[in-house]
Formats: sequence, structure tokens, C-alpha cells
Amino acid sequence: MTLYYFDHAASAPRRDEVADAMSRFEHGVVGNPSGSHRASREARRALEEARDEVAAFVGAKPGGVVFTGGGTESCQLAIAGVAHHHRRSHDRTDIVISRVEHHAIIDAAELMASDFDDVHVRYVDVDADGVVDLDSLESVLSADTAIVSVMTVNNEIGVRQPLDGVNSLAKNLVPGGVPTHSDAVAAAPWLNLPMVTASMDMLSICAHKMGGPVNSGALILRNDIALDALVPGGGQERGRRGGTVDVAAAVGLAAAARITRRELAEVNDRVIDYQQKLSAALSYLPGARITAPGALKVPGTVHVTFEGLASDEILFLIDQEGVCASAAASCSSGAAQPSHVLAAMGVESERARGSLRLSMGAETTADDVDSVIRILSAVIHRLRDEA
Amino acid sequence: MKVLVAMSGGVDSSVAAGLLIEQGHEVVGATLKLWGGVSDSGCCSVADVDDARRVAQILGVDHHVFNYSQEFERHVVAPFVAGHAAGESPNPCIECNRHIKFELLFERARRLGFDAVATGHHAQVADRDGQFALARGADDQKDQSYVLGYLTQRELSMLLLPIGSMRKTDVRAHAERLGLRTWDKPDSQDVCFIEASKGREVFLRQRIDLTPAKLVDRGSGEVVGETAAAELMTVGQRRGVLPGRDGEKRYVARVDIANHTIEVGRLDDVLISVIGLDRDSITFAREPLGDGTRVLAQWSAHGVAQPAILRDGDTWHLELERPARPVAAGQTVVLYRVDDPTIVEGAAIVTLS
Repeated sequence: MTLYYFDHAASAPRRDEVADAMSRFEHGVVGNPSGSHRASREARRALEEARDEVAAFVGAKPGGVVFTGGGTESCQLAIAGVAHHHRRSHDRTDIVISRVEHHAIIDAAELMASDFDDVHVRYVDVDADGVVDLDSLESVLSADTAIVSVMTVNNEIGVRQPLDGVNSLAKNLVPGGVPTHSDAVAAAPWLNLPMVTASMDMLSICAHKMGGPVNSGALILRNDIALDALVPGGGQERGRRGGTVDVAAAVGLAAAARITRRELAEVNDRVIDYQQKLSAALSYLPGARITAPGALKVPGTVHVTFEGLASDEILFLIDQEGVCASAAASCSSGAAQPSHVLAAMGVESERARGSLRLSMGAETTADDVDSVIRILSAVIHRLRDEA
Repeated sequence: MKVLVAMSGGVDSSVAAGLLIEQGHEVVGATLKLWGGVSDSGCCSVADVDDARRVAQILGVDHHVFNYSQEFERHVVAPFVAGHAAGESPNPCIECNRHIKFELLFERARRLGFDAVATGHHAQVADRDGQFALARGADDQKDQSYVLGYLTQRELSMLLLPIGSMRKTDVRAHAERLGLRTWDKPDSQDVCFIEASKGREVFLRQRIDLTPAKLVDRGSGEVVGETAAAELMTVGQRRGVLPGRDGEKRYVARVDIANHTIEVGRLDDVLISVIGLDRDSITFAREPLGDGTRVLAQWSAHGVAQPAILRDGDTWHLELERPARPVAAGQTVVLYRVDDPTIVEGAAIVTLS
């Protein structure tokens, strides 16, 4: 069966160039990069080359790149690491995050708040397009704020966030300024991160949304942000993340970043046409509503809701025709969960039940787009007739 | 046939799927994600979804997870809480079967192009006079026809119960033969959304204020004890009620939340001979039964069916041939045929009487 892969935002297809770069560190002798002999030196050299490449990709100094086991760990390290550090010198610690953050951020913040009575999570509201409301941010900032975290691009609906405004408030409203973090996992395949995220102190990225391996990511510290390591271990990564660094994973992240940077303009140009075509075609289907139609988005994502239909049924029927897509973020059980992002935007739960995210990438072709329009149209009309 | 198998992650539905595949059907497995909260028991934890998925992989069929957590909250959990707040004892498993599995899942299966839905219940679909009928499972220790009591021709015509004719030991042997990792998994016993280690009280306290009440002896009128939670007392129960001054056991006869009173009494004082039935809830598998029909009535999952006469007058009710311990409002009575005692005729919810 022909596969029509429209779930790049969940995990992008692996690139051969990444696998080739990694394979050197996946067979035979691979030195521990913390050692001193020649095998270690060779591994360390590859690790530091990868660090340089990742630093260039995001626009930071190499010394600020902390290799991690992925986007979720990077977010956890930013939120919990900064909050733990703040607690040691303050009576109260507020973690300020938007209501539409990925669960990597929300759960990290809520876990801190449930573990420590002096830690609180303050949520920033979003508008009907899912864009952070800067007035709401202003109202929750205080001298107790330890960190402000707002994602660069929302992973479910593809909408971009006003990071410069976020950072400006965090720096100017609170005496001394508050460190800012942005989960740039969903943004990395699409945006010029050195430009778009320039104002933010910290950034989380991962490899597998860009055609690299899973379990590979980085937390980038642009300025001298103090944080506690969550895993002190042997003091690797300048004491910010203990444990032997996975050279292959770092090399894979660097290769994925290199490919993304090289192809960024071409892929954006091509996929934005697909996005427009797909959005227009889907908007004509009965009961369909394109989510956040006027908002600034990355090209890869088309999010739509179908009134009166259930995501589970749409996904089942398009899966029978070879279309891989998802309702929202996937959960551990594999079931589609009610979306906290749509709820924060004020989308009625009945409509949110029928949500569908089609996400594209470098490999998506015009034929794929035509096929998914044909298949989805047939499925939506069939479910309407049966209802 | 194209069959959707509802796979809970337990051994029964695993074998049901395996048998249908061996019979040559085109099988797709689905696990329902019902409860979003914490669970350590029952049939909808992430671990159970994992078991179901792995079984489907071993059997070589597709597996999907359907999220019904909002519907489960609305149709099962909320009424369960409301029932307790009103001093009733609803059966959440029956409500789940009725609204989620045999209504929403069946409708979905039709829309998705399936010819039939199969489950791993210990019950059987039989033919009686050219019509579909629900019959007890072959393993009388495991029979689950009671929790399926509300099925009608509409559902029965599309339902397959592949293990209903088997004994549980045979089901397990079959699972082992098929190499399924669920072959020795313990049976689920508890309500899936209540943590077995914490119980009903902890769950209810998260949702409603529980009412302290006095236990009043029905015969003497004297106060014989107290409880911190009237909502946890079930009509007919003896547990938690001290024997009277005469040394005889006492049973709960009536739960009156509004007046903070639990009436208790000696068995002789509390026995009932009539069970009121909620008119709107009465469902018949085939033609409606008329006034005066003799039936066998069963009001708990593993209770013994009792002979009774169905009455349809100002109210629907059952006249019991032998007095019985009182039955809590909100529970379900399933009616079986007298002349064909494995066959379900219908079901109804017990009203306050």
C-alpha cells in the first residue's frame, strides 16, 4: 500500500545523510569522549564538531549547547533546572508558561509545583488563534518569577508565538530580568532560529523532527543562565548533564540541523504552496473549519476540525487508505486525547473531538497532497452520509 | 466477515480475537480508552492497552485505541457519583456496556464498515424462534449475561461472543496455545476507575461531600450506631452494621441521605417481596413481556435468579415468590425465561420502593 506520510510533526522521516554520519560511531571502537587516549580524542572531536554545528544552527556559542536525550529532557532541564536554582535563594518560585505549551513543559512545571509548596505555575492565556496574550503575561509576572517559557511554534496547530514581546516583558517588567526559555522543537524544521529566537535565553530542540534520531536533542543556553543539573553524574556537559555523552546521537542531531539549514528556504517555498492548497481544499469539506486561519504559521502544519465527527473515526478510515496523520499530540496509550491547546483557544469540546493535524516536511510531494485531499474528501463525505 | 474486536487487554478478549482469526474473519482490534484518571485495576489502564496491542501484534492484526474518556465520564462516572449522592447503588459496568460498548462503539463499527463487533464476554448469542437471544455463558462460574442484560435485537444481530461457549480453563489453555502473554493474567474484578488500594470512599470524597448518618433500628427506633458516609451504605448489606442487643444480625433496609439516617433491621424485618422497576429503563431483548409473566430475576452479577411475576400496572414491579434481602435502588435486575432459564428476556433499573 502506498504510504502518504502526513505526520512529520510527530516524527520526520530519517535522512540517509544522518544515518551515514552516525554510522561511524555505531560500530566497533567508539571512545568515551571524556577519556584521554586517541579513540576518546576522536570521539571528542566529533562531539565538539557537532556542538559547533548545533550552535551555528540556533545562533549561540558552542559552550552553551548541552546535549540531551531529546526535546522532553531539554524542556525538563530548563524548567526544573532553573526553578531548583531559583529556590535556593528565594522564598517563592513562580514558573510562568503559556497554556498551549507541550506537555514536556506543562508536566515539568506541574511536577515542580506538586513537589514543592513554594513553587507555583502561572499560566499565560492565549487568544482564539492560540497566540500568547502579552497582557496576560504582564499580569502574571512578578518578583517571584523564576523563568518564563513560551514555545516558538505550537506543535499541534503550527502557530508562531511573539517571542520578542515575551522576552521584552520578562526582561523589563521584573527588576533584574527573568530568564526566558523557548521550546523550539516544532519550529526547528522551519524557521531561522538565530533570527526568530534571538532574544530568548534558552532554547530546546530535538533531532527527530528534522530527520535525525530520536533520543537526541539539546538545551541551548545563550547567556550565562544558572541552572541545577537534574542528573549530576560525572559532571559532563560542563556539569549541566551528567552521564557519558552519546556521540552518535550528537552527530545525528548536527547532521539533521545541517540538512535543515541547507534546505530551509527551498522546503519553506515548496511546502507553503502545499499548505495553501490543502487548507483551501479542506475548508470546502462539510463542517470543516481550518484552525487559526489568519495566524502566522509554519508551512508544515494544517490543522482542521470537523464538526460532529470524531478524530478516531477519521484517522481509522484514512489509515485504511495509507494516510498517516494524527488528531493532536499522541499520548502514551496511543489514544487521541482532548487537546489542551484547542481548549485554551476556546474551541468547543464538541468541535475539538473532530480535530485532525496533517503535517508535512521536506519529503512531501505535490502528489501526496493531491492524494490526501482525495482520500480525506471521500472519508469526510462517507462519515457525513453515515451519521 | 469484517469484525471489530473490543480488546480490553484481558485473556478473554485476546482469545476471542484469536478464534475469529482462525475462523477466517478479517479482524481489527480496538481498545477503548475510558478512564483518564489514576487506575490500578480493572480494564482501562495504559498497561492493559499495551497488553491488547501486543496481543494484536502477535495475532498479526491491526489494533487501534479509541478514546471515549469524555463519554465515559458523562455516561458512567458522573451517574455513578450522582447515584451514590442520592443513596442509590448504580452498577457502572452495566452502564459502560450499555452506553459505551453497545451504543457508541457499535455505531462507530457500522460507520467504519464492520459487519460485526465481538467481545470477550462469557455469554452467548442464541437463536430462539428465528430471533436473536442472549444466553448465559457455558461456564456458569464466569457467566456475564447479567452485565449484558440490556441488549436488544439491534445489538445482538451484530454481536459475536466467541468464547461464550467455552469454560475459562479452556480459554486460558487456548491463550497459551496461541502464545498470548495474557494467558495467565488475573481476571479483572474491580471498578476500573476506582483504585483498589484506596476504594470507593476515597474516590467519592474527591467528588462529593459524604454525609454522616445515624443507624436506627427499624424495630425499636433506637440509634444503634453511626457512619461517616451514608453514601457508602448499600441497602441489603450487613457489613459494617453491628448485631443488635438481641445478638441477631442487622441489615441495611433503607438509606435516607437527606435525613442522615440509615434504617437497619433484623432479617425478618427487612425482607422484601416486591421490587419496583423504573419504567423508562425497561428493555426487552425481543417482544415486551406482559403483565403476569413469570420470570427468573437476578439482581447482582453472580446472584442466583429468583422466581417472580412481572407486573405492569400503575408501576412496573416484580412480585417475588420468595422474600429476599432488600435490593438497592439503582441496581439492575435482569429477567431470564422460566422455561428456558439461560435466556435473557430483558432488564430494568430498580427504583426506590
